[in-house]
Amino acid sequence: MSAGAAPPRTIRFDDVWKSFGDKAVLCGMSLEIRPGEVMCIIGTSGVGKSVAIKLLIGLLRADRGEIRWGDLRLDSMSEPEMIPVRKRIGMVFQNATLFDSLSLAENVALPLRVHKGMRMREALAEARTRLDQVGMAEFAGRRPAELSDGMRKRAAIARTLTLDPEVVLFDEPTTGLDPVNARRIDRLIEKLSDDVGVTSIVVSHDLTTIFTIADRIAFLYQGRVHVCGTPAELRSSVDPVVQQFITGQSSGEMETPGF
Amino acid sequence: MSEDRPATGPRQRIERLGAAALDGLAATGQLAGMLGATWRGVVRGRRPPGEVANQMFVVGNKSLLFVAVTLGFIGMVMVYQSCLQLERITGDLSRIGPEFLKLLVQDFGPTITALMLATRVGAGIAAEIGSMVVTEQVDALRMSGVTPIDYLIAPRFIACVVMGAVLTVFGVAIAYLAGGLTAWSSFDLNPRLFFDPSRVGFLDLGLGLTKTLCYGMAIPVISGACGLRARGGSEGVGAATTAAVIGSSLAVIALDLVISGVGLLLVGHGR
Repeated sequence: MSAGAAPPRTIRFDDVWKSFGDKAVLCGMSLEIRPGEVMCIIGTSGVGKSVAIKLLIGLLRADRGEIRWGDLRLDSMSEPEMIPVRKRIGMVFQNATLFDSLSLAENVALPLRVHKGMRMREALAEARTRLDQVGMAEFAGRRPAELSDGMRKRAAIARTLTLDPEVVLFDEPTTGLDPVNARRIDRLIEKLSDDVGVTSIVVSHDLTTIFTIADRIAFLYQGRVHVCGTPAELRSSVDPVVQQFITGQSSGEMETPGF
Repeated sequence: MSEDRPATGPRQRIERLGAAALDGLAATGQLAGMLGATWRGVVRGRRPPGEVANQMFVVGNKSLLFVAVTLGFIGMVMVYQSCLQLERITGDLSRIGPEFLKLLVQDFGPTITALMLATRVGAGIAAEIGSMVVTEQVDALRMSGVTPIDYLIAPRFIACVVMGAVLTVFGVAIAYLAGGLTAWSSFDLNPRLFFDPSRVGFLDLGLGLTKTLCYGMAIPVISGACGLRARGGSEGVGAATTAAVIGSSLAVIALDLVISGVGLLLVGHGR
């Protein structure tokens, strides 16, 4: 099926299972993400939040279940079939993942050259514009190693946005950032949703970020979506596991592997 | 006889042996697939500008001293030991130089140089690519529409094939020179007798070149595969690096055996 067909809309995880060796991570996860919304996925470490978004974009393969984006069945696509999908679904990784051997501008230009076939000069000019949008234009010629974590993360976001994706997946976008830079990233995610209508899926532990930007929150527990609702609904939930997570209590009903 | 005895009977041992053989076959199949994908990557040419030259510098220039020292010492020791033994048996050292050059060209030069590359370059490739895997840079490449084999393995493949050949020629020259100096200084052997290339023919050159090219292809593919399979954190990168050095070195030895065997069958050994 071609990814260049009519614009796909809703993202659906339907009974998705994923294990690594003997360790079952996702055990029948089902979730629907509406177009244009900011969906935050929360849960304890190792519960499978990052795995879920990597399954969506084909960086990992599900053992069972269906993942759909509109009419497209993503879970059964081959690596070459995923390439056009990855033009329209971008991902910002937890570690920024800029290539050390390239300057910031070259990093941002890379998807333009590969996906859009732009020439180097054109791609670099476009990359500088994108870096300007995240306040990083003056550092375009610098190597990633010369910059702070926050700056690298903003550049990684610029790289993801160069292709004007319809969906952006954020894996721990504010982890390791100071509060000022973290709120800048929050504003950027909100702006993408409000101004351009981008669907954002944000995996995070940062409750400030989550309750600031989320339209809906999915709480992942024991490999499934335990609760899904608006920030207000989650705050007022009487579910003891949800309350324990939100209030950060060390003791309670939540079963945490390794403790 | 007790029913809960440990499963160490002949049947279990055969099963384990069979499983290991199947794993080995599967790994060989995967490597063959990766070699094919690397060739396709080389032909497609989708790699960062200047990356092949950069990798040639890393593989070639940075290995010069290592190869020179290793091959130089090996040349000295081999010629010294050979002269010592021959002097005791026949006392005629006149053929030592030509035979040593023949051995260097068709076997020792390519193989020892490749073993040095397997340790220095193979480890470097696996560590670099493994680090990129565990820090999700390889996933980021895939998200950018880039095939990791095209971008990461193909430039190293070209560099290893080209610079492997250059380093082999350099290593053979150093070993031969060091051997000649040893024979002259320790056994008073006339350099004109030692530096005599008459025993080296086109078949020897062909055999040496075949080995050099095969080693140059095997090292980056095996090391790259180990790097791409790295999982976890620094421990995973360490394991990938170790596996790359062991795998590349074993591949060099195995290829040496196979190519030498085929060479013997084709041209005989009585020349």
